[in-house]
Amino acid sequence: MNFSDSIQKIDRRYIYIILAIVVILPLIFPLGLKTFTTPPVRNLYKTIDAAAGKPNKAVFMDFAQSPSTLPELYPMDIAILRHCFLRNIKVFTISYYPQGAAIIQMAIAEVKEEFPNIRQDVDYCNFGYKAWALRLPITLGMGDNISEAIETNGAGLRLDNLPIMKDIKNYDNIQICVEISGAAPGYIYITYARARFGVNVGIGVTAVSAADFYPYLQTGQLVGILGGLKGAAEYEELVETFAQNGLPYSAEYAENPTLKEEQYDLSKVPYKFKKARIGMDSQAIAHLLIILFIILGNIGYFLDRKNEKKKFIK
Amino acid sequence: MMETIGTWLAVFLTLSMFSFLYKDNPFYKFAEHLFVGASMGYAIPYTYYNVFIPYTYNPIFLRHDYILIIPVIIGIGYWFRFSQKLSWISRYPIAFGMGIVGMGVPMSIHAQVLVQMRTMMLPLTSINLILIFIGSVSILLYFFFSKAHTGLYGKFTKIGIWFMMIGFGASFGYTVMARISLLIGRIQFLLSDWLGIIK
Amino acid sequence: MKRQIPLLIVMILGFLFVAHTFIPHTISQDFFDWFIKWSKVIGSFAIVLGVGSLLMVHSNKIKRKAPNWGYSWIVILGLVITSLSGFIWGIEEGTPFMWIFKSVNVPAGATMFSLLAFYIASAAYKAFRARSIEATVLLIAAIIVMLGRVSIGNAISPWIPEITQWILNVPNLAAKRAIQLGVGLGMTATSLKIILGIERTYLGGGK
Repeated sequence: MNFSDSIQKIDRRYIYIILAIVVILPLIFPLGLKTFTTPPVRNLYKTIDAAAGKPNKAVFMDFAQSPSTLPELYPMDIAILRHCFLRNIKVFTISYYPQGAAIIQMAIAEVKEEFPNIRQDVDYCNFGYKAWALRLPITLGMGDNISEAIETNGAGLRLDNLPIMKDIKNYDNIQICVEISGAAPGYIYITYARARFGVNVGIGVTAVSAADFYPYLQTGQLVGILGGLKGAAEYEELVETFAQNGLPYSAEYAENPTLKEEQYDLSKVPYKFKKARIGMDSQAIAHLLIILFIILGNIGYFLDRKNEKKKFIK
Repeated sequence: MMETIGTWLAVFLTLSMFSFLYKDNPFYKFAEHLFVGASMGYAIPYTYYNVFIPYTYNPIFLRHDYILIIPVIIGIGYWFRFSQKLSWISRYPIAFGMGIVGMGVPMSIHAQVLVQMRTMMLPLTSINLILIFIGSVSILLYFFFSKAHTGLYGKFTKIGIWFMMIGFGASFGYTVMARISLLIGRIQFLLSDWLGIIK
Repeated sequence: MKRQIPLLIVMILGFLFVAHTFIPHTISQDFFDWFIKWSKVIGSFAIVLGVGSLLMVHSNKIKRKAPNWGYSWIVILGLVITSLSGFIWGIEEGTPFMWIFKSVNVPAGATMFSLLAFYIASAAYKAFRARSIEATVLLIAAIIVMLGRVSIGNAISPWIPEITQWILNVPNLAAKRAIQLGVGLGMTATSLKIILGIERTYLGGGK
């Protein structure tokens, strides 16, 4: 068997083992690669941060998620909730997927452990699960009156009576709708909420479809995008640099990685708040491995083609 | 105690799923089927507590809004979906829900088409804007099959293919990223929640 | 009665909704409020479709003793136990219902999809070939994006993330916009076909 044959015919299970090793080792022995931030993430952070301390503004989060996308999207959920709790921003959560509703409960419980003073239905409100068929009626109805469109929170209490709704009526009081989803995030908010009521829309999306949303960034229909684990890592980084230190957003710091490094010690950050950043070391090495695989595979392919041509000439 | 059992159960299911990489086996099948059943099992109580009680039970039985019995009857029509003779009854609730697509006509034209086109019509003041314009127009022409792709027109549509390939390449690069991230998440669970190696 | 009236309902509601979008009159608003109220009631019954079809498929498998029919019991048991736990102990954080979610759904669901990482690695090695100039362009763009999204790309050269951002913002944007325009027009055409009763597949087969 020649070189190109051996390249082509390697058992796929060896490839699996190499990939597993490449992912595991950097998690045990971190390389300490620094996360840099990009404009779509910074813009989303800035827009949410602009609601800090305003009782008549809230961030509306739609969890269109299931466990299958959890590794990519959950760190986003956690980072945005943490941002809002740190900066005293009202948050609403909703899901039109039953499993998304369970993820909301998990995420809020996890973040709340670090914020004993944050109160349910005062600082945040979980609207819980609503049937898929109600998605459009609720999205449109919120333009008039959020309490009437949604009626009850996840625990079945009427929204009219909750303290968090005191200064909140309709989309005028929603700083941004952020949909975090593994499918087609933001479309319903872009098409209905933004077009009719002019509300800001942001999305968190699995990396698979992140590239598809750039046209909406240019038109301004989307304020920002968190794309995959990298997007989550960037958001974590911004929350750490600014919100955690009680600082307002600063372009100079956000865009300069060397300035940020001195701001905090990553080893002192609770694990749940740095999960995406920790994962980025493995991500980087795994990308190199995949690129190597593509190159090796192509070398084999071209050697084969060359041999075939030679045989043909003979 | 329950937390520990939960973690071990999660580890067992994680490893059972991974065992499929070697080959299909009963552990994988067990985990897969349990997942499907439990996933659907979630929807029932959630729908009962968060949809049926607030929007149907409370208005009718507590607020005596008896007119809502009519949509209840329409909704019950869904149940006939599985009857061979009476499945036509389920068309009524489906038709009721479908009506709202009427709103999608003007709204999606606005958000998906007009706003996108308006941005393309901005003055082409930079090289990037010119490239975006040429790229989008050449791709649209590539998908216009009423004219043969020959001559100058054919060359122009060829540019569209190049733009598309770069676009697909970007999506492909991102897809690799997504898949790796999913694996990282599971490995993090095993190393952190189970073995406590990373903190 | 069986087909014509549902089609008529879709047509009438469809046109009323088109009108509602353009006419901000109180009658139009009242119509919209009425529709939302009724949809909320009807919506809660739609779950029967999902649960019903899953139960039908698996009970049939058990009845026919189809290959691997034993696993169908696992599906049904998983469904019954999960939903019962929700009804008995509630669905809040800290209940057995959430325990099942964290211990069964999260690990099984997330791991099932993480297997794709291995398949894409294997495909990268065995299938992603630069067979033509177009395929080469695709692969080069993919490699740049893969490098530019992680810190190693930045460490090799700060230009790599910059080029990645440019690829996403310019050629990728142009491609996705053209495709988006096609999709947008297609969606609108499909909506119109539904309202006009030309597209009827959503009603299911039969007379």
